[in-house]
Amino acid sequence: MSRYSPPAFACRLFQTVLPVPYRGALLGDLIEEYNLRAEAMSPSAATRWFWGQACRSIPFIIGSSLRNGDWLISASAAVGVYVIMEMLISAADFMIAKLVAPEPTAYVVLAPIVFLAFTSIGGYAAARIRFGTEVFLALFVMITVAVLIVVKACPIPMPWWYKFGFLTLGPLTVLLTPVAFGVLKPNSNESAT
Amino acid sequence: MIVRREIEERTGRNISIGAVYATLERLEAKGYVSSSTGDPTPERGGRAKRMFRVEAAGSRALQVSEQTLHSMTADSKGRWETI
Repeated sequence: MSRYSPPAFACRLFQTVLPVPYRGALLGDLIEEYNLRAEAMSPSAATRWFWGQACRSIPFIIGSSLRNGDWLISASAAVGVYVIMEMLISAADFMIAKLVAPEPTAYVVLAPIVFLAFTSIGGYAAARIRFGTEVFLALFVMITVAVLIVVKACPIPMPWWYKFGFLTLGPLTVLLTPVAFGVLKPNSNESAT
Repeated sequence: MIVRREIEERTGRNISIGAVYATLERLEAKGYVSSSTGDPTPERGGRAKRMFRVEAAGSRALQVSEQTLHSMTADSKGRWETI
């Protein structure tokens, strides 16, 4: 067993996007070469190489998944999670607006907290259902927020950074919550591929 | 890993492992290569190695590609001079 260990976050990122047939063998290849590079050069150089591989590999892996048609199942699951998540967000927004904080100022403060809380729950649930679902969910959230900004759904005039925060932090929360909570751990199929 | 390093050494280009796996998967879907799984090892974090073998259909397709490439590049020097 090597005394070097590859960057955990990059490994989790790989596990997020890799389809099951790829996962074990590809990660194993990377870890093996990471150890060789860490011994030959330095652990920091090997870490940079690992991150480089992760960033450059992901577009190819996503492209391959799209060609295989795996994305249809993930997209369908994401639609289901998205509908439930939006219903919960709408219900929470209604409760806040009517009961907890009827004043617009308090609503402006509480709305992002509710939004991020439910997007993180949605991302977690999506990743639990199926790998890759959270990527589609993040895309749906981004499109929804963009549409709401364009149609000026918010009756209160808000600064650009407030809207930009929803647009960026929402999808990021969906993507990063499963990674942070370790949902995307290797499963039993991994060692068999 | 060996496939990726071999391509890097032969071409001198830094190749991502994702590109290699995506290509190998497409070749496998077409029946040009087949894969089998080795035993998990501690050096690989307990993960198994996936080994690829070129099939007869893959060899034939490679020969056709080589012949096409050869016919395209044969006499290329004379053509460039003409242009």
